[in-house]
Amino acid sequence: MSSSNGKDAKNWVGQALPRKEENRLLRGRGRFSDDIKLREMLYLRFVRSPYAHAKIVGVDTSTAEKLSGVACALTGAEIVSQTQPFIEIGPDPFARIKDYPLAAAKVRYQGEPVAAVVAESAALADDAAELVQVEYEALDPVIDAEEALENQSLLHDEAGTNLVWNGVFEYGDVAKAFKEAAHVVTIDRMHFHRFSSTPLENNVVIARWDPKDERIYYQCNNSFPSFAIQFLAAHLQVHIDRIRVETSDIGGSFGIKITSYPQMAVCALASKKAGGRPVKWVETRSEHLTSSAHGNERIFRETRVALDKNGVITAITSRHIDDCGAYPRYEPLGCVIWSQVFPGVYRFKNARIDFSQAVTNKCPVGPNRGYSRMQHLWFLERIVDVCAHKLGIAPDEMRLRNYVRPEEFPYTTPNGCIYDSGNYPRMLQLAKQKIGWDDWKKKQATARKEGRLIGIGIGTTLDSGTNNFGQSQIVNPGLPYSGNSQGANCKLDIYGEVVVAVGSCPQGQGHETTAAQVVADVLNIHPDMVTVRTGFDTERNVHTGFSGTYASQFAVSGLSAVHGAAQKLKAEMKRLGAFVLETKEADVEFGTGAQGPELIAKSSGKSINYWGLANIVNANSASLPEELYELTLNCRYIWRAPFKVPDKQKKYGNLTMTYASQLHIAVIEVERDTFIPRILDYAAIDDCGTVINPPIVEGQVYGATAHGIGAALMENCVYDAVGNMLTSTFSDYTPITAMNMPHVKYGHISTPSPHSYSGAKGMGEGGAAPVHTISAALQDALFDEGVFIDDSFNNADSLFRALVGKEISQMEKLVKVEKR
Amino acid sequence: MLSQLGDDAKLLAGGQSLIPLMKLRFANPAHLIDLNFIAGTSYIHNANSALRFGPLTRHAEIENSDIPARIPILYDCAAGIADVQVRNRGTIGGSLAEADPSGDWAVVLSTLATQVRCLGKNGERTVHLKDFIQDAYTTALAHDELVSEVVVDIPAKGSGGAYLAFKRAAPVYPTASAAVQLTMDGNVCKDAAIALGCVGLTAIKAKDAEAALRGRPISERTLSAVAEAARAAADPQSDMRGSADYKRTLVGALVRRAITIAVRRARGEHVEVSHLYA
Repeated sequence: MSSSNGKDAKNWVGQALPRKEENRLLRGRGRFSDDIKLREMLYLRFVRSPYAHAKIVGVDTSTAEKLSGVACALTGAEIVSQTQPFIEIGPDPFARIKDYPLAAAKVRYQGEPVAAVVAESAALADDAAELVQVEYEALDPVIDAEEALENQSLLHDEAGTNLVWNGVFEYGDVAKAFKEAAHVVTIDRMHFHRFSSTPLENNVVIARWDPKDERIYYQCNNSFPSFAIQFLAAHLQVHIDRIRVETSDIGGSFGIKITSYPQMAVCALASKKAGGRPVKWVETRSEHLTSSAHGNERIFRETRVALDKNGVITAITSRHIDDCGAYPRYEPLGCVIWSQVFPGVYRFKNARIDFSQAVTNKCPVGPNRGYSRMQHLWFLERIVDVCAHKLGIAPDEMRLRNYVRPEEFPYTTPNGCIYDSGNYPRMLQLAKQKIGWDDWKKKQATARKEGRLIGIGIGTTLDSGTNNFGQSQIVNPGLPYSGNSQGANCKLDIYGEVVVAVGSCPQGQGHETTAAQVVADVLNIHPDMVTVRTGFDTERNVHTGFSGTYASQFAVSGLSAVHGAAQKLKAEMKRLGAFVLETKEADVEFGTGAQGPELIAKSSGKSINYWGLANIVNANSASLPEELYELTLNCRYIWRAPFKVPDKQKKYGNLTMTYASQLHIAVIEVERDTFIPRILDYAAIDDCGTVINPPIVEGQVYGATAHGIGAALMENCVYDAVGNMLTSTFSDYTPITAMNMPHVKYGHISTPSPHSYSGAKGMGEGGAAPVHTISAALQDALFDEGVFIDDSFNNADSLFRALVGKEISQMEKLVKVEKR
Repeated sequence: MLSQLGDDAKLLAGGQSLIPLMKLRFANPAHLIDLNFIAGTSYIHNANSALRFGPLTRHAEIENSDIPARIPILYDCAAGIADVQVRNRGTIGGSLAEADPSGDWAVVLSTLATQVRCLGKNGERTVHLKDFIQDAYTTALAHDELVSEVVVDIPAKGSGGAYLAFKRAAPVYPTASAAVQLTMDGNVCKDAAIALGCVGLTAIKAKDAEAALRGRPISERTLSAVAEAARAAADPQSDMRGSADYKRTLVGALVRRAITIAVRRARGEHVEVSHLYA
């Protein structure tokens, strides 16, 4: 080959290429939304409810509006008169609720915005917000989801119930499996706690409702803009093309920034009221913690597990109650998204899950790294783990007996999902090797004799990526969504530059780099020769209804779109090249010569560089024959996932394209005197199929591991009995930092996906592997003490209450084994 | 200025308590008097067997000076306060004057002979630390007074100390903490000072625990008795950092661990310790 980079063709994918964005981001030269300052910009501050549940008797903004420098104020009542309530995803009766971005009749969680003030400076807006008088009449708050389902106090009168959605997911022959079971294990209650992501950058919105062209211009860090604009257009009653959304660098989202569209609506309406001046809202950390979005909290009730004599699980039944906070918003999608991983990594065929979702007087939930699936995976991991302990089967052996086997892939789950590839036993073997399993087992035995509490735990989990949005129809058969798609554009610009745009909005995932790697391989050039336009912009016209960055899919949907666009461009270039070089297309080769990237005729040795090629189409077209007029060298490609609409009644069908897997092992000691759980050793094995860029994957594994360890041991959104949020600052909600991180022994295997063009699987969420793993390790440490790890959150205080106080997590009360 | 401006004025030293309170709008003073521009307020002097700290001496200056090597408990405290950013700004004088129930310095300094010098219109006076901090957020300072110096007697040779806290994350206040300063005579503890942090409205001097240690050989039995007395002396509240029962148990464990380290240091061993983190 003629490449000057000295590399073989088709091999940039898989290289540890340094990230293109590093130079900008590490030198503090990134451009984040709050860095943007516009002429005549105003600043918005929300007035928020101190009550969890109250009637709004009156809102008086007059004193605030009289303050010098205040442009205007907005109230819920005003918004109700000007807009339509937000679209509800769920069916009746919850489709009837009225969700506005400012509360009008009542407030439903502490921190809910009831008014907004807009002023010449952020400090003035803060002062003015304090002058807004709101009169409330307190109502009974509902904090617990199970209590909410008793409907004693209703959040949304229009719905007449607090039950958002209920559905039964039943597959196989559950009754028969229980009849034939050798053991039946019953678990009364388990609880997956509410936690969130704490991106370095909070939500930021700049909105300008331009009175000249009646368009709304957003510069913001929403992470799923194509979803946001669909909600905003319907709410603000404008044509969707009148809304432009641009994102720039984003300091993390982890899903949480998907649900910033209510604030986006208020900023636009405020700009309109202020005569079209741009309005900026920068969320404070406490606002973020109390009122952006939290992860879903879930309760698992009356779980029954059937096992054969070898400890192989044959059936599971359970009742799940998901708590979505005060408004369903992105929900009730979470009521079905968990079923992407219905059996987890296990082979059982028979199961019945009765799934309900309830509203409570807490912050609305939103997608949070591992969204909806991690709760379910934790539930399954707890089952496998506690059954192993109860039946006296070694935890590693228990997993091997129950894992889907390597030779069974592609594996169809009981609910019709197709697991593309994987090798869980090999991951287990590698993780055991990394951590020194046998050695730790010996150390553990010695330590136990000394009275020390050391546990070794395994967590095996899935990160399902690239959703089939048809699953939304399981939740609401009337929804017009199915499949999945992503758009990309690849062009040779007038001077021959290769420029790529894609409908994603990266938040640290390195899309500039990986997209360049893919294009470089297609055109046989160096990735430095590929410019990737990063960030979302509706005006680039490369978005579909699903564009954004969420749900572990860029490696599949994003890069497939980029790959498709690059191939389209390559085909055009080849055709044009054959004409210019007076040869056949098959004779044209791609490479890099003295004058940059070029096309060469193998037979004659003649060549033309990219500039020459682009010039013919763009600025020298008189030489172009008419049959080549259709060439634009500006190629837009829409990639579509090959999905079908699932069977809505049977809740059956393939819900996701790829299944990356993670297997972690933790060794934990619970200190006898302080009850502090200490991670003594930690191994994390990842399988995301073909790896596009190893350091980018490894970085995301570390990030997801840190997030999961934080969630398991440190991060918990706590409400008191009347709905006061007790963790509204970083002093109380203590996000994990480097100080709390163990050394992570990282390893990976690669089982290429047959479902994606490159063999890659979406990754990044990590399936909350550390949450499962740490629960299992704590269980192993405390099983002999009669403790059942029934909650996904454990800290020194809760372990003390379980071990010494015996008030919580008592095995005897919660878990029963029946031998047949 | 304080007497002119009245109650609406607040003194700004390192700002590590006041600024967060203002940010959350829990404090809204009309006037801020910034002390940071007054020259000669940040120093560590070693004279007449005492250390004299300027009121605006930053935690980081104490952490990085060579003097605390001779009083390790001061290093344990200075180096363990929150994170680097807080330590670079926060001051020893500000910490004592704020009298936050969770502040670290009051706990550690109450195990040493510490005097606080208070400067006002009518001159300077010296108040013993135990009389200086009167209640949560309440000190002996008159409205028009400020802390002008903190004087700590250097413990005699053969004395050793340690300060240990459990913190859920670096930047947050401890769940509980324990400071121990003791003097050894062979294996027998000649004298001991024990203070508990974050388990009451002020730092708690655990007198019964001190008595249980004083004159006793360091043994499992002694340590258990001291820890028990420390638990009894604690008066914690349940909050996000932990339940009252847990904090009581924790503080006993911390006292035990701190004694073990203090004993080794009293014998001249160099022992590095770090707070416990989640």
